[in-house]
Amino acid sequence: MTKSLNLTGISAHYGRTQVLKDLDLDVKAGELVSLLGASGCGKTTTLRLIAGFLHATAGRVALDGRDISSVAAHRRDIGLVFQNYALFPHMSVADNVGFGLKQRGVAPSERRARVGDMLEKVGLAAFADRLPAALSGGQKQRVALARALVIKPSLLLFDEPLSNLDAKLRVDMRVEIRELQRVHNITAIYVTHDQEEAFSISDRVAIMDAGQISQYDTPEVLYRKPANAFVANFVGFETMIGLRVTGRSGGVATAEGQGARFTLDEATWGGLPDAFTLGARADGLRVMEGGEDDGLPAKLSVRTYLGRSYHYRAETSVGSVVANGSIDRPFNEGDRAKLVLVPEQCCILPAQP
Amino acid sequence: MNRVLPWLLVTPAILAIVVLLVLPLLDTISVTFIQEEGVFAGYQEFFDRRFNRGVLWRTVRIALIVTAIAIAIGFPTAYFIARAPRSWRSILIVASVFPLLTSTVVRSFAWIVILGRNGIINETLMGLGLISEPLSMLYTEGAIIVGLAYLFSPLMILSLVGVLENIDKSVVEASISLGASPAKTFWRVILPLAMPGVIVGAVLVFTGSFTSYTTPVLLGGQRNTVLATLLFREAMTEFDWASASTIAVIMMALTITVVLIMSRVARRLNPAAA
Amino acid sequence: MQRSSPILAITAIAVFIFLLGPLVIVAAASISNTEFLAFPPQGFSLRWFVNVFEVSAFRDTFLISLQIALLGTFLSLLIGIPAAYALSRSGFTLPKSLANFFVLPILVPQIVFGFALLSAISVDFDLPVFPTLLIGHTIIVLPYSIRVVGASLATFDFSAEEAAISLGCPPVKTFYTIVLPNIRGGILAAFILAFITSLNNVPVSLFLTGPGISTLPIQMLTYVENFFDPTVAALSVLLMALTVLVMAVVEKTLGLGYFVR
Repeated sequence: MTKSLNLTGISAHYGRTQVLKDLDLDVKAGELVSLLGASGCGKTTTLRLIAGFLHATAGRVALDGRDISSVAAHRRDIGLVFQNYALFPHMSVADNVGFGLKQRGVAPSERRARVGDMLEKVGLAAFADRLPAALSGGQKQRVALARALVIKPSLLLFDEPLSNLDAKLRVDMRVEIRELQRVHNITAIYVTHDQEEAFSISDRVAIMDAGQISQYDTPEVLYRKPANAFVANFVGFETMIGLRVTGRSGGVATAEGQGARFTLDEATWGGLPDAFTLGARADGLRVMEGGEDDGLPAKLSVRTYLGRSYHYRAETSVGSVVANGSIDRPFNEGDRAKLVLVPEQCCILPAQP
Repeated sequence: MNRVLPWLLVTPAILAIVVLLVLPLLDTISVTFIQEEGVFAGYQEFFDRRFNRGVLWRTVRIALIVTAIAIAIGFPTAYFIARAPRSWRSILIVASVFPLLTSTVVRSFAWIVILGRNGIINETLMGLGLISEPLSMLYTEGAIIVGLAYLFSPLMILSLVGVLENIDKSVVEASISLGASPAKTFWRVILPLAMPGVIVGAVLVFTGSFTSYTTPVLLGGQRNTVLATLLFREAMTEFDWASASTIAVIMMALTITVVLIMSRVARRLNPAAA
Repeated sequence: MQRSSPILAITAIAVFIFLLGPLVIVAAASISNTEFLAFPPQGFSLRWFVNVFEVSAFRDTFLISLQIALLGTFLSLLIGIPAAYALSRSGFTLPKSLANFFVLPILVPQIVFGFALLSAISVDFDLPVFPTLLIGHTIIVLPYSIRVVGASLATFDFSAEEAAISLGCPPVKTFYTIVLPNIRGGILAAFILAFITSLNNVPVSLFLTGPGISTLPIQMLTYVENFFDPTVAALSVLLMALTVLVMAVVEKTLGLGYFVR
């Protein structure tokens, strides 16, 4: 039975330092939600709190509406997959996978069948009698996954499960994880610091910063419409320009600020406030001849070749930024140019104080 | 784990050490200061006697010489072990550990066989006709020093092998590639990096020699009294427990002082560990 | 590393002769057919080995040493393993200085500790010799138990413990089924180190012998002070054989243990 998870008003402390501040998180039954953030943002603390290895100083953790805050870790019925696999070094692969069933008093014959079945699913049936030390990193992680899944837990927790694997294997494994989670229809929380990984695997992503959730939404929304500067920066909007609308006519607004001037189609952004911050990715700023009316004046420095386009480092009134330029018209170092907007690669944020 | 459980788990060990080690020691220490003639009367009396000062100086002297010998023979040996091929290294380490696991009585006794009147040295020298009368090498300060150097060198070797093995090979190669001769590399790179090991070894050897009882008793005889044998004599032959306690406190104070000073020096010499 | 220079090799070989030679000499002297210690041995006789077993004091004190060493080591592990576990598991809760505190029994000169035990516990509380000896030996081997088991725990990945708990295994059972099997090599090493340390100890036992109760090393010391025959050489050989046996067991067991890992 698939269960929903609700965290309400969670605060946590390590000694005197507060690591989680009044955190709320709702996960629907069957959803896979990622907690994404830099180290120290509180994502692992949140996970360990759900698992029952840490205790909140305030707030409640509820599975399907039932408060489990005071339930001991070993009674929570939660499958946990660790960054370093955490396999039992002295037990065979089959014994590792069967461990949770044994704790639940499952009869040996049924245990063997279910373990065999699960090992089959992760493609490790031939390795049942091996010890963990004899496995590769990817195989170890499959065993860890099988071990967590075989108990049919109410909730699956992943703590950076792929960060010890090489890049290629990482991509394969995350598809595999997603598939298994879907097939077994288990609600899952996935902790990672890798944005691509979180976005590719999750139904929804909670971006965390300093013990709080900055924004919690689908990857598509986060990627296109970050709610604040932190999230914007996290999803690649590196350049921030503070602008003020100086004129509106016929659905077109002129915005100026910090030495830049842009003409913006209000429909593209669903309306523009009088003052706002514009965030741009490297592909959101395009290098054009200096003669343009609109744009951010820039002096170009280092040029790098990217195949489909050039990237330039450009010195502007908002600092050193990265912009993109056509492959047909290379500029030279030292050239003066204007940077104009590519709206699809830009976002609108609340004005920064 | 919660906050209480860890304390619960360490409580038996803490209690055992406090009740069975710290309190008896405090008792012994307090005895030395509660004297009718004044707080420091016991120490006054100890240092007033020329014999006692001689014993203290002999003990310190022996410990210093033994430490120097242990460094002198321990360093090249440890260096050799650290550079040996893997398979050899473990054999050589076992060969260094084996004496440490053997009783100090046995190891001191061995030198009676070697240095005694009918011992191997006298037999050899007489056999060669170099001497006509056996030399009396046993029951001398020299015998104590040889016995202790034998006893404690393995400790020095093992302390040094640890640090020497941990010195990154590429650091040594970097030094040579930058133009330093092997000798210079040794003095300017390897020795400074090995210094923490030298100090740990020196502390172990010095305190071990300074407080040793078995070897001075077996190889030093009656004349070459050291602090440990003096302590035993005062307590068990003279039954002067106040004096014995005073000696015990002096030994303990000196040992702990040396350990504290040297560990501070070690910390200063090893900024990488800080 | 580069090849060792011949001078270094010769020095090292000389040092190893210095380290092991005397033990070989003792072994050789034990088979001498003379009433006094002689090397090279004159004649061949095993009578001094027979004599070891005929001197009842050696037999009695060996049994006492054995009991003290086994019991003391067991007690030190009993209180040392939980302490080592708490130290490596709960670095945040427990003060760092606690690890230093547990080294205290090594820091204090053993002969001073032996004397303090005699004057404070044996006399003040009128405690019999055997329990006092046991207390002394338990305390001096405690640091070995804590440190060797601690070193073993330092290589253990505690997330395996959390994995077991998350799979439904209660905490205490987790300790027995997951932690203990993975540190058994460290526990065995601690046991052996503590056992040998206790078995060989002189300075703590020195003051704590009484009528009818003594330890083997103290008995050997007394014997060597009074007799010059090769009996102690023969006994030394037997003790060294015991040490070799123990080291072989360690090698075998821990070797297997590491192979399994």
